[in-house]
Amino acid sequence: MQAIYAFGLLILIAFLGAKFITKRTSISPVSYFFYSGFIYIFLGLSLGRSGLDILSSSILTGFTPLVGLGLGWVGFLFGFQLETKYLKRFPGKYISLSLLQFLFVFLSGGFVFSLVLKLFYPAEQVYLLYGMAAALGLLLSLNSPTLLSIASRIIPERGSYYYLARFLTSVSGFWGIVGLALLLSFWHFPFFESEVFLRGGSVLLFSTLFPIPLGFLFHFLTKKKTSEEQMLVYLLGLVFFVSGAAFYFNLPPLYLSMVLGITFSNLTKIHEKLYPLLLSTEKPLYIIFLILIGALWDVSLDYTVALLVVLMVALRILTYVLPLPIFKVVLDFPLYLPARFGLCFLSSGGIGVALAVSIKLAYPLPLTDIFLTIALFGILFTEFVSPWGLKFSVFQLDSEEKK
Amino acid sequence: MIPLGIVFLLMLLLKNSALLPFANLDQGTSLALGFILVFAYLVGNNLKRLNLPQITGFIIAGILCGPYILNFVSESDVNDLQLFDGLALSLIALTAGGEMKIDRLRRQLKTITSIVFFQMLMVLVGFLILGLIAQYFISFFGGMSLLQLFAFSLLLGTLMAPTSPATTIAVMTEIRSEGKFTDLILGSAVVKDFIVIVLFSFSLSFSKSVTAPSLNFDFRFLFHILSEVGGSILIGILIGSGIILYLKFIKKDVVIFILAVAFFSYQISHNYGYHPLLICLVAGFFAENFSSQGKLLISAIERSSVPIYVIFFAISGASLNLSALRHTWLLALVCVGLRGLLKFSGTFIGARLTGEGKEVQVLGWAGFLSQAGVALGMAIVIQDNFPDWGSEFMALVLAIIAINQIIGPVFLQRLLVKVKETGKKISLT
Repeated sequence: MQAIYAFGLLILIAFLGAKFITKRTSISPVSYFFYSGFIYIFLGLSLGRSGLDILSSSILTGFTPLVGLGLGWVGFLFGFQLETKYLKRFPGKYISLSLLQFLFVFLSGGFVFSLVLKLFYPAEQVYLLYGMAAALGLLLSLNSPTLLSIASRIIPERGSYYYLARFLTSVSGFWGIVGLALLLSFWHFPFFESEVFLRGGSVLLFSTLFPIPLGFLFHFLTKKKTSEEQMLVYLLGLVFFVSGAAFYFNLPPLYLSMVLGITFSNLTKIHEKLYPLLLSTEKPLYIIFLILIGALWDVSLDYTVALLVVLMVALRILTYVLPLPIFKVVLDFPLYLPARFGLCFLSSGGIGVALAVSIKLAYPLPLTDIFLTIALFGILFTEFVSPWGLKFSVFQLDSEEKK
Repeated sequence: MIPLGIVFLLMLLLKNSALLPFANLDQGTSLALGFILVFAYLVGNNLKRLNLPQITGFIIAGILCGPYILNFVSESDVNDLQLFDGLALSLIALTAGGEMKIDRLRRQLKTITSIVFFQMLMVLVGFLILGLIAQYFISFFGGMSLLQLFAFSLLLGTLMAPTSPATTIAVMTEIRSEGKFTDLILGSAVVKDFIVIVLFSFSLSFSKSVTAPSLNFDFRFLFHILSEVGGSILIGILIGSGIILYLKFIKKDVVIFILAVAFFSYQISHNYGYHPLLICLVAGFFAENFSSQGKLLISAIERSSVPIYVIFFAISGASLNLSALRHTWLLALVCVGLRGLLKFSGTFIGARLTGEGKEVQVLGWAGFLSQAGVALGMAIVIQDNFPDWGSEFMALVLAIIAINQIIGPVFLQRLLVKVKETGKKISLT
């Protein structure tokens, strides 16, 4: 009975905290931490196996579809933003910059981690360590537009840098999710013993093709006059279906549902009608998702993991800040890109958590418990400091541009 | 029909035996849930065009995709989805409680009491007589002693009495009904559930004492009833008070809060043996009638009510044991017919004695046919307590529930359409 009282108390604290702290209009690290919802990971952690055990293993098994839905939802949202009409509004160099940035962060991050992991975990199989390094590299390459969205309400003057930052954070998700699909296809679990490229290619092809007819179906169903509740059922059902198929064949739900989102977004004309529904449904789903992630999290923190978290944060700052002058020369970029501009990419947000969880669920290995701990601590830490990063980059750049 | 075909073919492709070696069979629950959500909703929509209730479509889709026909939703999937089922039931019960307005119920209290009393009396007596007569015609009853037959019939009668509040509220929400019949049927269904829980404990204790002479009539059932029912009501009031305070002072993220409340109620009832339906009914009733926050509560649930209904009824369809129907369909049909007849006579007498008009007397019974969770739960208890004939009893009850759960919503919707109570309620969302 004690556990139930504690559960009630925790819910109350979380809601009261959310109510009072999000009322603030500044973006300090603490208020952003609450606003971004990451506090719910700690709520989940305290309710899960590592805490009060209210969300016990058997209950969590029952909630697995909701984790799938959460992952699918994040993927769908990213895919839905990628409407070609919207993308065409930006110069081609913006897309090239996003690709270069992704490749640099992923490759350099993955390379550093592959060396360090081999040093720290010499007893582990090398191919597992390479896979984990690649996953950490992917995680570094993702960033979230949430902080910039909040900032947009506070900064009255928004310059070109702000739009560029928004664009880059939105598109980074696409590259990261495609990278995840490649990783999970060719490094598919259970691991292929032969014909890796043929089998991996088949997995990738299936992952890409399967959601497309469902995207068409969603368009067909919502083409005629559709009520909000009908749209909600179709949306939930199709995202569940796609992420369920992904779980069933151990494919990345993020990728499959992103393909669903891209297909639908490029067919439909009801973007304006669907956005309010997506926004109103997103928050409850996201909070439940974060609570479940917290409950699933088996924290395995030791000094090696702590060092890897520090390395991850350092790599995040360095890989976004250092290469920008080179990219400017390579692309002959029309905007001046000072080094501190990279600091607005510190936050990896929900997409980062989703990618980390996808890896954890796809590879049920002890090593992925360590991966999840590094990933979540790294994300939480960079999330906390990201408002400062933003202040040093876009805020000051805005005022410079104004001058 | 084309979307239905596409979803069906894709699922057929995924479940193809050629792909089985690549499948992670332990992770099929999400797929099953996603498929059933889309498929059942599309089936429901198609039935709606035929002027049938959507929830009948959800149930039929569940039966088709369930473990006994297509096996797209396997038995283990159904078990894994029990948590969703429980959450959905809690939310449905919160809605049902929130829809019961004390002033409207007070006006109909006499009629509700009278109808409930005569329906229960008629059903109990009717099934006792059926048991006595059936021993001469049906071999299944032939091997039983008179006392066993009496116990069997008493328990069967008790299980035939309730009407499913969940199905009732789902149909009423779908067709947005409001009015005298709506209040009367929902109020009676809820009151009957209370009484059946009490009556069942009595019947079970009594039947055990008559079938096993070594066991005396155990009065401890009274204590169990008091603790279960009383505890559920008390917890319901506490949760209702919590809802009122939250909606009054915080008002933020109401949907998440309500989901947390539903989970909390499910956990308490699951771990400590209380009734989730009763807890949430009381909580919803308390929030509606003892504060001004009822509308906010209902609108928060209404926003997500359609997916909840689809999941709940499709899973309940998938859990219906069709092999039971195959073996006992004839007796089950007789029982369903008799139950309908007894409900008619009980409603007729109850309504007539309280001076209700011809419409209630003649048509009212059609709203009371649906049958679900409570009867099923009780049948499982009976199966465990009477190993001699418990499994035959269970098979019969499952078959009866399967039939009633399909025809019940159809009759209820037809009734509410006939008395012109549909489309009256304004959606709060």
